[in-house]
Amino acid sequence: MTQLQARGLVKSYGPTPALRGVTLDVAEGEIVAVTGPSGCGKSTLLHCLAGILRPDAGEVSWHGHRIDTWSEAARSRLRRTEFGVLFQFGQLVAELTAAENVALPLLLAGTGRRAARTAALTWLDRFGVAQLADVRPGEMSGGQQQRCATARALVTEPRVLFADEPTGALDTLTGEQVLTQLVRLAREQRTTVVLITHEPRIAAYADREIVLRDGVIDHTGLGLDAAPLAGGPR
Amino acid sequence: MRPGTFIRLALVGNRTDAARLALTALSAALAALAVLAALSVLAIQTPPGDPGQHSEQYTNALLREPGLRGGTAFAILLLTIPVLALAGQCARLGAPARDRRLAAFRLAGATPGQVTRVAVLETGLASLLGTVAGLATYLVGRALVHRPDVNGQLALPTDVLPTVPELALVVLALPLVAAAVTALMLRRVTATPLGVVRRARRAGRPRPWPALLIALGVLGAALFEPIRQASGDGLEAWVFGSVFVGAFAAVLGVILGVGWLSHWTGRLLHRYAGSPARLLAARRLTEDPWAGSRTFAALLAALAIGAGAAAFRAGFELREQLEREQNRRAGYDDFSNGQNAFYLRTMDLVDLAVGVAVVIAVAGLLVMLIEGITARRRAYAALVAGGVPRATLGVSILWQVLAPVVPAVLLALGAGYTLGRMLNPDIVTGGDWEPVCRATAELCADPANRDSHIEMVLVDGVVHSPGVPLEQLALLGAGAVAATLLTAGLGVLFLRSSTAVEELRAT
Repeated sequence: MTQLQARGLVKSYGPTPALRGVTLDVAEGEIVAVTGPSGCGKSTLLHCLAGILRPDAGEVSWHGHRIDTWSEAARSRLRRTEFGVLFQFGQLVAELTAAENVALPLLLAGTGRRAARTAALTWLDRFGVAQLADVRPGEMSGGQQQRCATARALVTEPRVLFADEPTGALDTLTGEQVLTQLVRLAREQRTTVVLITHEPRIAAYADREIVLRDGVIDHTGLGLDAAPLAGGPR
Repeated sequence: MRPGTFIRLALVGNRTDAARLALTALSAALAALAVLAALSVLAIQTPPGDPGQHSEQYTNALLREPGLRGGTAFAILLLTIPVLALAGQCARLGAPARDRRLAAFRLAGATPGQVTRVAVLETGLASLLGTVAGLATYLVGRALVHRPDVNGQLALPTDVLPTVPELALVVLALPLVAAAVTALMLRRVTATPLGVVRRARRAGRPRPWPALLIALGVLGAALFEPIRQASGDGLEAWVFGSVFVGAFAAVLGVILGVGWLSHWTGRLLHRYAGSPARLLAARRLTEDPWAGSRTFAALLAALAIGAGAAAFRAGFELREQLEREQNRRAGYDDFSNGQNAFYLRTMDLVDLAVGVAVVIAVAGLLVMLIEGITARRRAYAALVAGGVPRATLGVSILWQVLAPVVPAVLLALGAGYTLGRMLNPDIVTGGDWEPVCRATAELCADPANRDSHIEMVLVDGVVHSPGVPLEQLALLGAGAVAATLLTAGLGVLFLRSSTAVEELRAT
């Protein structure tokens, strides 16, 4: 069943076109990797699909409802309740502990502090960083920070997770560990994942790979050039 | 590296760097103007003959009377405190972008020393630009304001000029000091090709020891009157010096005490944080409680001085009222010798200076707020992208500013007023030796026996206490909180641009 739909997306930054008519369907529970060279429009596509950016032309639909016409407040609410968003780095609030960072989306949704902390601890444990619950991001390694950020993105049990180069700032081994956990948990929860990466090895985790070039879809298929990683989920 | 290359590297940068340079230059210009104004007051010549002779060419007694000119110059110099605080806060503006630029210089082959020199040169050049602009403004303003009235008197000392070495010292010394301070601040900072590393010592939890500084100041002020009474008229300079040091310690105590207040309010907020906005604010307050001391230093110093001035004003007003009543009873109608009126006019000038200081301090607060938002823009942008409403972040910033500032303002007003009140003791009227009859009225009236029945007794005078100037203190406090709130609101406007999705792509 199609969950997320993009039709003829066009987006420019001043005179520079980023997307030039992208059409895409994402099914429920599917893991889609969007790859391509730098500047091909990968992040812009993710931002449009997640409702962070409004396309200049085209449509983005969520379960058949056009979200690109919604107000920013409505799109924020959608992201808060249905989506999870994960970036490359710098997304944790430096002053909050790991548990507080993870609990933040739940607190925003109105969950009580105790329940939010319990849920946060559960998710930190799933990513193997429960011992860091009361530690601040500045005292963690990059991999630990990214595990916390991933736990925060999943703590509300979103229906779609948008991940923009989530392992881009990590070394290969740590990146693979984080991604393995992310994909395993996403499959367990039947969470749809839209994953931006420029690494074929990472794309190999996905059910489908979409290659962008110069703002249009160049081709679609499975992880093309790389064999699935050992222990990888596909 | 050639000097030209240094200068070019020091002056390149984005719009935020340009804003930092402009604000640094503006601060230097304001500081130069204040110092030049003070030097002008000191440059007024006393007419030959009696050293206490007035310089009658001025309308204002503060300039006319030689004994008051030192204090006037000192009061003007005090204005440089908030200006220098503003300069210090401007130096933090756009720090992340500058750090990236410095790292890029290192990556391109610059040595750590060269990178430090570039940063120091940036501040020095901007300050030099400011002091030159300040000198130009002073000279032009002096020529424009030089308009004697019908009596040939001047409102300002526009007929005198500091000496050329003094002018040169102002123009050159301020940038040198600014550059030296920057170099000092960079001692714990290392620019590496991969970024800027700060070797910060983790500050411990703030303790309430600054209360001792406030107590010291209050004690010094409390001892002033007994010492004055014991010494008669001949008060020695060390007594005034001690009172000044005590007052300075008390203001310092108020400023440092904000660290403890921030930590305490942060903990309280955290305990009762029911919303993410309060949680974010609470953690920011407990994580860096000294930020409040840095941010509100100039504002609190101005408020403490303003509250002290309010206590002095209340004292002068009471004295004026009592003198008028006394003169009226003595048949001099509503006569007043004008001395209290002079002091009250002086208090008007102090209030004006406090107002200017508050405005400058609030400008510094705005700079600090914007810098804080800019430094956290990536985390904020990620939160907004994840669905956190900008309003939540805005409210957290408001909490973060207001939670410590309200008790801090009360503390500053309380400490300032207490000091001022201690230095302005109660006024006693009518106390004197009076004859009291210890026998019957007839015996006391008999001239032959009167002396043996009448005793001279010291009768206590009537004690008049100046009222607490609640209205003025409330005006100061409410004005400061309102200005802070307005500034925080203005700062929050920058959230939109700082949480733009483009920030997520910045490295």
